Amino acid sequence: MPITYLEAIREAQAKLLADDPRVFIYGQDVGNFGGAFKATKGLAKEFPGRVLDSPISEDAQVGLAIGAAIEGMRPIVEMQFADFSTCGLNQIINHAATMFWRTNVKCPITVRLPSGGTAGAGPFHSQSMEALYAHYPGLIVLNPATVEDAYSMLIAAVHIDDPVIFCEHKYLYYHLKAESLPTEALPIGKARVARPGRDATIVTYSAMLHEALACAEELAQDGWQIEVVDLRSVKPLDTDTILGSVARTGRLLVVGEAFPWGGVTAEVVARVATEGFGLLDAPPMRLNAKDTPVPYHPNLWGTHRPTARAICGAMRELLHA
Amino acid sequence: MPRIPIIMPQLGESIAEATIVRLPFSVGAEVAADQEIIEVETNKATMGVTTPCRGTLLELKVEIGKTYAVGTVLGYVEVSEEEAKRLGVGEATVESGPLKMDAGPSPTSSVTPVVHGLPVPAHAAGIAYMSPRMKARMNELGLQQADLAGIAGSGAGGRVTIEDLEEFLYRLDEHKQSPASSMRVAVADAMRRSWTRPLATVGRPVRLDALLAHRKASAAKSGPALYALRALAIALGENSAPAGRLVGGKIVHPKAIDVGFAVEAEDGVLVPVLRNADTIPLAELLPRYDELVELARLRRLPVSAQGGSIATVTNFGTFGLTWATPIPLPEQTLVLGLGAGSVVPSWDKGKSQFVPVTEAHVTLSFDHRVLDGGAAGRLLRRIVELLQEPEKL
Repeated sequence: MPITYLEAIREAQAKLLADDPRVFIYGQDVGNFGGAFKATKGLAKEFPGRVLDSPISEDAQVGLAIGAAIEGMRPIVEMQFADFSTCGLNQIINHAATMFWRTNVKCPITVRLPSGGTAGAGPFHSQSMEALYAHYPGLIVLNPATVEDAYSMLIAAVHIDDPVIFCEHKYLYYHLKAESLPTEALPIGKARVARPGRDATIVTYSAMLHEALACAEELAQDGWQIEVVDLRSVKPLDTDTILGSVARTGRLLVVGEAFPWGGVTAEVVARVATEGFGLLDAPPMRLNAKDTPVPYHPNLWGTHRPTARAICGAMRELLHA
Repeated sequence: MPRIPIIMPQLGESIAEATIVRLPFSVGAEVAADQEIIEVETNKATMGVTTPCRGTLLELKVEIGKTYAVGTVLGYVEVSEEEAKRLGVGEATVESGPLKMDAGPSPTSSVTPVVHGLPVPAHAAGIAYMSPRMKARMNELGLQQADLAGIAGSGAGGRVTIEDLEEFLYRLDEHKQSPASSMRVAVADAMRRSWTRPLATVGRPVRLDALLAHRKASAAKSGPALYALRALAIALGENSAPAGRLVGGKIVHPKAIDVGFAVEAEDGVLVPVLRNADTIPLAELLPRYDELVELARLRRLPVSAQGGSIATVTNFGTFGLTWATPIPLPEQTLVLGLGAGSVVPSWDKGKSQFVPVTEAHVTLSFDHRVLDGGAAGRLLRRIVELLQEPEKL
């Protein structure tokens, strides 16, 4: 029976709650309501006292989680939307991220961020925040693009002793399905070659992976073999896999759904330009959302973020450069 | 029955509009899902606008040949209720509550495109463009851009691609190859560097009778090349500007009139130098000249006798050549060439008849950034004057 990306996240949390008594889930409406997206549906009943409703204060949510973590627990904080996590920004970047560096006390919290846009969601329900958090030392930032990774990476995230920002993609929640849950997975920090190729490399992550794969399919009809690399974790970034791919193809396009300035795409391009300059056959390219807040109107939203079509347009330019 | 708008999609990152080129279906036709119903042309390619779902083509709002912006409603497809439901058209996403997406006309037809035409890419390709990957590979193989002259590039703008290069190298293996001597490679590099300047040549005949008579009457016999060298040195001593070098916006004048002369050595050319040749008479230059020629032939030229010359003399007449356009050394502006002499008839006005004279051609090849024909011509004229009065050398 096929399992969706969201169900995989729910299954991972169920497993975590079952296996480790230190784990608990804390967020707005996660209890009996089961979460805004139903990511914790049924878990409060199955694990009484372990899935707790928080007040509408991200600051308080993360603050409580940090307190619990330094006392030895393993909290999972569910943010209702990634966009709202900025209300808890100070707790995340100044407390959680620096805790171990300042005090030698570990802070193993996992903050789940429903990220990314869907039609009509608007500027406060669509953001991708991975670049913001990746900027700060002390945080691990994960962006699963597949049902299997959503499951195994969430389990791995809670086991990590550092604070982890777990960016789930809302569009993938219901639209992405897999046959079954995985029994093994690539380690955190390793990128995956989702599609091998020869003519150019697309490096991407999260929902954009599927747009990139669709683009690679379309270009395959013209005879181009496009390699697609799924970053899986934004931080730590797997530079070796990326450079290996660029060594094979000589051309790079980095695609991200987030805003262009200083994003993950910029970091990848900077690393490739510095460490792999002699591998490049053409200037590396980036494709991001437009440098505007995420629009509300579906017609505008449709042109705001990269689509398979837009990626193909950029790729044709890259292949002929 | 619900109707779905057909919207001009985003066809490429910098594309803001597209022109209708073909309408394969007419109003009323049954269309399948993802069927191409409008063919459009952008600056980059011809693409298709497809139906979002199966239905009947209800309305086409576009004309062939006209251009429409991305986001414009191009027409409508009428669909069944089940089809509309299956697509989730008009359905909201879970978190934002029910969203009534009006399937009626959208206001996007008034969107005016901001970008017209394709911006020139910053990495505009051309024949001279070498990617870092190309450079790294060429470095690995010790190749210069001049070595790639024989490759027709298949890349954008005639660019030589990495595939072209590898193909070229692969084909080379079908030929017999022998290693080039270090002398050959050194000369190749010098000539390649020199050729980066715009070079020109002027020439004129010189009567050798006086020179040959002077030589016959001398105890020690100097070759014609040494006569030419001395004439060049005196002329440059009088005005050294033609031997200056252009660096940016400045003419760099010579420090001393040190003149070199070309000697053919095994597989290449060496250029020993006579220092301050403008101050030393011909007879005194000769022993040093002979010594340097011998050392050059033996490839035992001392470092002090090489380099630093401001002009070179080459006597290609020894090969039987009458005319040539030698290439100056990369650090020099001038090279004076002397061709083979022969007896030719010359009109003598006084006697009103042709008389035999011994004549050769002298040529001056020069960096045209520093000298023009006039200055080159004047220098050559002075050299010829001096050669025709050899007692002054």
